Amino acid sequence: MTAVGMETDVSTTERSDAIRQFSGRGSQYYVQAFHRIGEGRGRIGSFNPAAALLGPIWFGARRLWAAFWPILVIELLAWIVISVGLSGGANRESLQRADRLATLAESRQAQAAAATQRDPESAMTQSLAESAAALTKERDEAYAAADRASSSAWQILLLGIGGLVIVRAGVGIVATPLLERRFRTWRLLGDSAPTGLSLRGAIAATALMALVVPISALGFSGHLMPALASVPANPDWHSMTAAFLDGAMKTFSEQVAPAAGVMTGTINGALWLMETLLAATPWPVVMTIILALAWQIAGFRVFLLTVVALAYLALLGFWDKSMQTVALLGTAALISIGLGIPLGIACGYHRRLARLVRPALDFMQTMPAFVYLIPVIALFGIGKPSGIIATVFFGIPPVVRLTALGISNVPENVREAATAFGATRAFLLFRVDLPIAMPSIMAGVSQTILMCLSMVVIASLIGAPGLGEDVLRALQYAAQGQGLLAGLAILVCAVVLDRIVQGKAAR
Amino acid sequence: MITLKEVWKIFSPDPQATLSAARQDDIDGKTLKQQSATIAVRNVDLAVTPGELLCVMGLSGCGKSTLIRLVNRLLTPTSGQVLIGDSDIGRLNTAQLRRLRSQDIGMVFQSHGLIGHLSVRDNVALPLEIQRIPRHQREDRADELLQRTGLGGLGDRNVSSLSGGMQQRVGLARALAADPGILLMDEPFSALDPLIRRELQDEFGRLSRDLGKTTLFITHDVEEAFRIADRVALMRAGRIVQLGKPQELVDAPADDYVARFVEPYRTTPEQPPLRMVQ
Ligand SMILES: Nc1ncnc2c1ncn2[C@@H]1O[C@H](COP(=O)(O)OP(=O)(O)O)[C@@H](O)[C@H]1O
Ligand SMILES: [Mg+2]
Repeated sequence: MTAVGMETDVSTTERSDAIRQFSGRGSQYYVQAFHRIGEGRGRIGSFNPAAALLGPIWFGARRLWAAFWPILVIELLAWIVISVGLSGGANRESLQRADRLATLAESRQAQAAAATQRDPESAMTQSLAESAAALTKERDEAYAAADRASSSAWQILLLGIGGLVIVRAGVGIVATPLLERRFRTWRLLGDSAPTGLSLRGAIAATALMALVVPISALGFSGHLMPALASVPANPDWHSMTAAFLDGAMKTFSEQVAPAAGVMTGTINGALWLMETLLAATPWPVVMTIILALAWQIAGFRVFLLTVVALAYLALLGFWDKSMQTVALLGTAALISIGLGIPLGIACGYHRRLARLVRPALDFMQTMPAFVYLIPVIALFGIGKPSGIIATVFFGIPPVVRLTALGISNVPENVREAATAFGATRAFLLFRVDLPIAMPSIMAGVSQTILMCLSMVVIASLIGAPGLGEDVLRALQYAAQGQGLLAGLAILVCAVVLDRIVQGKAAR
Repeated sequence: MITLKEVWKIFSPDPQATLSAARQDDIDGKTLKQQSATIAVRNVDLAVTPGELLCVMGLSGCGKSTLIRLVNRLLTPTSGQVLIGDSDIGRLNTAQLRRLRSQDIGMVFQSHGLIGHLSVRDNVALPLEIQRIPRHQREDRADELLQRTGLGGLGDRNVSSLSGGMQQRVGLARALAADPGILLMDEPFSALDPLIRRELQDEFGRLSRDLGKTTLFITHDVEEAFRIADRVALMRAGRIVQLGKPQELVDAPADDYVARFVEPYRTTPEQPPLRMVQ
């Protein structure tokens, strides 16, 4: 025997011992099966009867939880089909429906008969008779359907059993290769890692199966006790908590009313400025300035786009409304950017602050806007300032996130070099960090503008005027054409604003 | 003149505790690892005399970068004193320290640390801009230095469009911009390919001597050190194991480690060559 051969032999014995230690029960089978898989003759012939017999329980016992869950769900489906088949299939439901129809038809017939006696010629009598006839016909059809269904119950049962057999067969085929993969990772982790057999896993899997399968089967065959059939909700708790929140909200809004007043005043001031600029100034002036800006900042192509966009807004009569919208949401966007960039910079410098702020931003972006309309209205009442505040909440996260990202991505060696030449913190911020982070910050600004504009309809719900109103009205009266035109106008505003701002970033 | 007196630098959650243990030689590698502590610079005494070019040499991770950052206080020593001229820089306030950094010390980094969105000229003029020197004056000065470092006419280029060797020249010009008395060089040429490296070494040696700068130069390359240095300090695990003229290190190595380092310069090889990675 050659040296190489000996070595292989030794390592084979060693491996077999490891497999025995790993697999616990049925180790003889696994030594052979793993060996086959190792030689690339894997799947065929490595059918695992224990896994096929026990199903999910085997996977629990073998700690293969990633496979346990999908298999449990698929099996559950099969068990449900079986229980439906056993309880008479769709037969039960259609029989119930037929019975309902039968009682209905009988009472209608009685009514019709009574009416005929009173006044055989009246229209009332006639329609009652017609209705009774229709019901009778429907009843007969329902009984026929129930008959058909009861004959198909057998088919459903067979389908379920067949499904279960197929699932178990598949499980038996994939089981050993999966366990073999787990064995290899176990070998890498060393002996201290948990082996491939766990009594606790087996118990947990069995308990889960025992809970899930019978209850589902009973539920689908209609024999489940009422306590389990409906979720045990307690309506009192719900109303109690809601009432408490009402009270808390009210106290809070009374407490902060002065501060809220100051905020509303400030916002109104900013809004007044924007509205004067955009909506009150005669349209030729505004239009000329926008076009000139587009050309200067973003170049000829954006200028052309702006010409088309403004023409659309003007000619279809959206000019005033879109200027109102842009004034309102533009104010919101400016506030978002004005607050968001400093906050983002602070988050970029201070990891701890960033860890605090991130969940708040997630919350603001995930919470549906309608939900935070409620406290905003409670604090600031209905009107434009509330619309702006809700929009700021929704629009601020991207600019904060992307500013923080840009700042924290500034290469440390550049910062270090500037410090070594005596740079102050302000110099670092304005001459090093901000310029390097600028592309990221501008991406954030652009996203914030778009997010703010996307709030237009929701803002108009609480009394902010503009294009959003048109969309709302179109929704109320199902005026599709109008809705589409107004929606397009919003889109046009957003695109023009974004292109002009991005054009600035590109230079 | 740069003077380091009994300087320690320890990276650790509790540096003082590690320091007092290390002072009594009461700490081993395992304990250090447990405390997640690194003794990067260990009781170093060093003086760079005016006009001298002193090379600190050692393997990667032995504490060279930490040492040089202690000189302009990019890092604060855990213990010990650093003097520039006669003044203890630990006693300077923020404004004084800033003035020292912008006027008296120029630094060049291995990863040049240039500002990508600025032109070559603006990068070179950065120390002057920090000193608030008027634009025309600092641009003239920058152009003069660009001429001197062989970058004449490239002032308007974007730094990121230059090759590695060119960028390192810009870094050198920037370090010289404020005409500081002291130059700190942290492996400035290590990332360059050999031909360009040699060229820059020669140029730098000439320039440094012409200008009479006091220079602390870090390298992991014996050849580089011996090529340009007046004196060489060899570092190992935070300590300076030998300090002297290149020839002294070759003739009388303090220990095996030094001997293996200067091996290529000895006439009769006795030891296997030193591996440059640890
Ligand atoms: N900021 C730091 N925090 C923790 N350990 C550090 C830090 N900076 C350097 N070190 C450690 O100090 C030792 C010396 O590093 P350094 O001075 O960069 O070595 P060199 O420049 O000689 O390659 C290394 O072990 C390194 O891991
Ligand atoms: Mg280094």
